[in-house]
Amino acid sequence: MTGAAIWGLVVSSLAVIVVRRRSTAIVLVGAQALGLGLYALTHEPSASPAPMVAGTILITKGLLLPALLLITTRRARKERLIVSEPNALARLAIAVSVALAIEQLIPRFGLLEAGVEHAAVGVLVLGILVAVVRRAVLFQALGFLIAENGVYLAGLSLPSGLPAFIELGLVFDLVVVVSVAAAFAAKIHERLGSGDSSLLEVLRD
Amino acid sequence: MTSALLIAVPAAPLLGALLIRAAVRTPVWADRLNIFSASVTAAVALAASALGVVQSGHGLGGSWYLLDRGGASFLAVIAAIGWLSAVVSPTYLAGSGRSFFTARRAREWYYTGFHLFWAALLALALVKNLGVAWLLVEATTGASALLVAFSGSTNALEAGWKYLVLTTFGLAVALLGILILFVGLSPHGGTLATLDWQSLAAHSAHLSDRTAVVSLILILVGLAAKIGLAPVHNWLPDAHSEAPPPVSALLSAALLPTVMLIAWRVALTLGATVSHHLARDLMLAFGLASLAIAVPFLWRRMAWKRLLAYSSLEHMGILALGVGFATPLAAIGVIVHVAGHGLAKSLAFYTALPLARHDPDSARRAPRGLSRQSPATAAAVGISLGALAGLPPSPLFFSELLILLGGVTAHETALVTIAAVLLALGFLGLAHALIETLAGDSHGRRWAVGRTVRLASRLTVAIALGLLALSAGAYLLVASHAGVAIMRGIA
Repeated sequence: MTGAAIWGLVVSSLAVIVVRRRSTAIVLVGAQALGLGLYALTHEPSASPAPMVAGTILITKGLLLPALLLITTRRARKERLIVSEPNALARLAIAVSVALAIEQLIPRFGLLEAGVEHAAVGVLVLGILVAVVRRAVLFQALGFLIAENGVYLAGLSLPSGLPAFIELGLVFDLVVVVSVAAAFAAKIHERLGSGDSSLLEVLRD
Repeated sequence: MTSALLIAVPAAPLLGALLIRAAVRTPVWADRLNIFSASVTAAVALAASALGVVQSGHGLGGSWYLLDRGGASFLAVIAAIGWLSAVVSPTYLAGSGRSFFTARRAREWYYTGFHLFWAALLALALVKNLGVAWLLVEATTGASALLVAFSGSTNALEAGWKYLVLTTFGLAVALLGILILFVGLSPHGGTLATLDWQSLAAHSAHLSDRTAVVSLILILVGLAAKIGLAPVHNWLPDAHSEAPPPVSALLSAALLPTVMLIAWRVALTLGATVSHHLARDLMLAFGLASLAIAVPFLWRRMAWKRLLAYSSLEHMGILALGVGFATPLAAIGVIVHVAGHGLAKSLAFYTALPLARHDPDSARRAPRGLSRQSPATAAAVGISLGALAGLPPSPLFFSELLILLGGVTAHETALVTIAAVLLALGFLGLAHALIETLAGDSHGRRWAVGRTVRLASRLTVAIALGLLALSAGAYLLVASHAGVAIMRGIA
């Protein structure tokens, strides 16, 4: 995989941490999956059907799930500024420093390209960090997709790819989980008049 | 024949879910179809479980399944708790108010989600492949998150959302671990079968130490988030306390132990190849941390279901210790503990139904003086909480003893001592809660013996008999060579 493509994935993940508009973030995450899918379909054609399966799944995912989330944002009222969130620069600083620290902790695990390994772990960690530093429930749902894109990136770098059953199962699970997350996002917006997850911090001991 | 029976185990609840979703138009028919589908499912699963228990050697293996003695025991527990929760559900739905869903569709959605969740759990106890197991664990999240938020209250939304987010990210970490494992084992297959339990046991010795360590840590930490082991347990108290009682029972008594079964298989298959007993140490650390965090909460007066949630954290800690000790005695303790905890905890959660009906404030504060208000409900509370505390002759007393003795035979005397002290403190905390709940001051009037009290009363008799039978069974298991057979099958 080219360095530009890898950097594209990492930078788009970082962008989701800083952008304000939900629709922009959804488009960025959809573009990640589409980019990975196109790479799988076009790069190094082999006798194995794995890249074809992975590419088709990723492109379907890159179109379907963002569309689902965009419908959810359309149904919810315009999102207000979420004041409980750290500002964009602070979010970026937290995300970059934590991601770099975790990168150092995880040793190389055997993919051919070291850059892909680092990027896969980095994108997965950034997906988790999106859910930590962003307060809007829809952004937290996008974190799932970014984290899974990190795993897909590593999977695409395997000589034989991931087993097709796992690829299909993954996308099925992801569709279910993101649909459930979208239902939650809509219900939370309906109940609280906002998608701010910090309003959901009542249960404590 | 065996293969058809095992396919029927997850297929029966799947079919039930589809039928309820597609064909049912009235609440009465939804209730009837739920009971019918649950009874068929439980019968098939218990038959399969019996087949697994009586077989010899490493278990019955097929194209997608592995039925060993340990897995068969878990299957029986999932079948029994699922059936009990399905039977209790119509009573819950009859008294439930507003919902996440529209009033007209709420019952259909509830039963559909419930049977899909149950199907994933049953399949999880049977699958022979780590990758497929991961997919099923993730599927349980998708199917159960909306059930947790079923009441639609703000608290339930918070609990459901927290459950969805934390467990999904935990599982993403586990998925990275599985991927690393797959990369390491690629020279020995590179297909889905590479992740079969038997393939992992056979080939994991060829993994580099670094690959084995990283993948093991990521997989166990990710699964711990789903089991609700401390310190990655934040979703557990909220989800268990806000979900409908039959769903709480299924979460605590079936979901958590079933994911623990997957962690157990991982620890035994990969743990043997990793230096310095990493798998064992990780499980022991999770176990001790869970006990240490749960015990102070067992001393606090809190709402009934929230107390039960912290009790779940304590019991998952005990199971993690049993898995970590990795001795035959501890393995028997784990199996008895899963069954005993399942029965006692489900009765305790079902008791929340009469409590919610007659004392709605019990959702937010600890109930008191139940023996004067409702002797039948007090009996249910007494038996369930007494059993969970480990009061003899509860099977949990014997299972905890077996797990601790397993630790002694593993030469972990210091750790066993700390765990024994924490268990004793937990016992005292729950005993205090039991006395206050039964005999504390109460100004409420005596409850009428309605539908929920009658149900709790019947369940108390049935589950008390089951708990006594299990205590007797624990003696027989110790006298046999079951521990070695269980461990051989799990690995």
